[in-house]
Amino acid sequence: MSRFVLPAAALLAWSAGAAVSGSYYRSPFPPPSEIHTPADGAAGDMFALAFGARRLFADVWFIRLMQYYGTPEFCEHEEHGTDAHAHHHCGENGEGKYPEFLARSRHVLEIDPGFTMAALYAAGSLAFNMGRQAEAEELLHYALKYSPKEWKYLKVLAAIGYTKADDPAAVAAAIAPILKDPDCPVMLKQQAAFLNKKIGNYPAAAAIYADIAATSRDTAYVRNAERELEKLSRLPPVKRKSP
Amino acid sequence: MRILRLIRAVAANSFSESVRHRFFTLFFVFACTAIYASVLAGVMAVDQEARVLTDFGLAFMELTALAYALFNAASVLPKEAETKTIYLVFSRPVPRWAYLAGKLAGSLLTSALMLAVMGAMHLLLLKVRGFGVPPCYAWALAGSLLKLSVITSFAFFVSLFSTSAVSTMVISGVFWTAGHFASETRFLAEQSGGVKAGVFKAAMWLIPNFQLFNTRDAAGAACALGPAAFLSAAAWVCGAYLAALCLISKKEF
Amino acid sequence: MSATAVSFSGVEKTYRRPGFLGARYTTAVKDLSFDIPAGEVTGLLGLNGAGKTTIMKLLTGLLFPTAGRVKVFGHAPSEGAAKGKVGFLPELPYFSPQVRPGEALAYYGRLSGLSGAALALGVGEALERTGLEPHAGKRVSEFSKGMLQRLGLAQALLHKPELLVLDEPVSGLDPLAIHDIRGLLAGLNAEGRTIFLSSHSISEVEKLAGRVLIMVKGRLAATVSRAQWEAAPGGLEAIFVEAVK
Repeated sequence: MSRFVLPAAALLAWSAGAAVSGSYYRSPFPPPSEIHTPADGAAGDMFALAFGARRLFADVWFIRLMQYYGTPEFCEHEEHGTDAHAHHHCGENGEGKYPEFLARSRHVLEIDPGFTMAALYAAGSLAFNMGRQAEAEELLHYALKYSPKEWKYLKVLAAIGYTKADDPAAVAAAIAPILKDPDCPVMLKQQAAFLNKKIGNYPAAAAIYADIAATSRDTAYVRNAERELEKLSRLPPVKRKSP
Repeated sequence: MRILRLIRAVAANSFSESVRHRFFTLFFVFACTAIYASVLAGVMAVDQEARVLTDFGLAFMELTALAYALFNAASVLPKEAETKTIYLVFSRPVPRWAYLAGKLAGSLLTSALMLAVMGAMHLLLLKVRGFGVPPCYAWALAGSLLKLSVITSFAFFVSLFSTSAVSTMVISGVFWTAGHFASETRFLAEQSGGVKAGVFKAAMWLIPNFQLFNTRDAAGAACALGPAAFLSAAAWVCGAYLAALCLISKKEF
Repeated sequence: MSATAVSFSGVEKTYRRPGFLGARYTTAVKDLSFDIPAGEVTGLLGLNGAGKTTIMKLLTGLLFPTAGRVKVFGHAPSEGAAKGKVGFLPELPYFSPQVRPGEALAYYGRLSGLSGAALALGVGEALERTGLEPHAGKRVSEFSKGMLQRLGLAQALLHKPELLVLDEPVSGLDPLAIHDIRGLLAGLNAEGRTIFLSSHSISEVEKLAGRVLIMVKGRLAATVSRAQWEAAPGGLEAIFVEAVK
């Protein structure tokens, strides 16, 4: 009889662990049926899941997304009067086609749905740089499914609505509360600064550019912010005041 | 009181043996890799450098500690039997349960020290790069320690019937990865029916849910480990310990 | 003190070796019965594979008998009451190479239930009795085979056991070390401790033991007292050769 005591106690303890875990744990992650892995990323996704390193592999996917978006696309235009085809960069400011952008962005969120900054960056790029507001909305709705309390997504959704209504002042106002958040991508800050400049709110634009110059580690954005600040400082004093 | 002193003596001996062996080499490897990663992250991740450095550091710390914990747990009992050190222990009035508890405690203490030292190195690196302590950092380390506790006690159990330290490490490694698929297994169990669902449910019962402790991946969300995480970890450690005790109490040397 | 330190009655030990096509069974000792009187030095002789180490492990609780009964001071060998009275020196004992002898002894002393001043005293005495005191500052990695054997003996003596079980205590040692250890064991026996030792060296057993058990293929072939081998032509060696032939 006593030889069954230890195995029975072991089984009981193990089952207790499984029971407590089963009743308490609810996965915050998308189910496997929602993960659409690109062919060349299956191994990475497997590691992400197998080693519980979703955040790390989401970072890798996000870096890949930035590299993809940072790669200039070549547009083909027929030049009149010659038979030759001329090639030149399009999308130097991120306004190219980048057909995989939505799929790649969504994949980052499929791996780590809590990666708020990636969702804001991708939605902002789709909506404000590439003019693909519908895709931006789709991405944000997906992100909201796993982070329903994320107010920043709602602000960007509102900004997208104002973009469709061609109201840059409202767009700038909608994204303004996000700008001081640590999750705010520098791209969105730049967009806000640009919109403020466009509507003539130079002090707000200057403040955002100054923030970019002071906080960003991206030299391209920092240099651009410094250039813009230089330009804004050369404006007549009367123009530099708030409208 | 006497038994507690015995357990403490075995644990302290196991801990100091671990610290004497190969321990600092791993820290050196960790430091070099972390610095290399920080250089890469600085170039590639730009404004996400802090997040990438944090995620990489926490994941690499856990894997380094896991590798050491598995190696240690898989080899400590077979090595003591092979070198006949265990003769000197079990020929004394040392109950086998107390010896096993001491060995397990020593291994867990080693894992805790590893995580603490690597954590300090990691935070120092983050500070050098101009970043503060990431949110939920202590919880992430606590989660890793709970995972390591469960897998170490499981590896102790496996080492008592497996034919070599390598096979113990492989079996425990498979268990580790399977434990991170717990939410996927639950999804599949809910989606399928009949025998398939039964198999998935059995797997859910058999394999500990390591996602429960995976605060690293939940950082930013509600990252504090709840009582259920500590209770589950304690139950799994206890289950594996009792199973190991069942084997070691019948084992001859 | 009980008059009988160790008692084996009808003991059998069969090893089970699991294999791909079923387990293989090997009987190491069979139908083994003997007593070791308290306060005596008893030797155990036999060829390789005769079952000497199995007997040592059975009486220290490292192995469990398949049949029969082993008693150490009236207790089962696995009981704490028995183990507390036994000091065991296995063949070629291992110690972590990085530690100093005092550290190794302190660990085993704690396992024997010593602590505080008693532990410090026990460690000091064990080092002194085994002649390791001058080497207390060295690491085990610097020890010769003889010094390791002395350290093995020191750990067996730490808790002042009533019974010393020594498996090949002089194996591979130089003549001076053998002489020292012989002197130490004789001193311990003079204090009233029971000593049970196995050896391949008939001459060593002959010098130390008052009684010798000769094992042949797992069975007790003969029990010879000092008076018997001293009276026999050719001494213990002749009796041993006759028994194992």
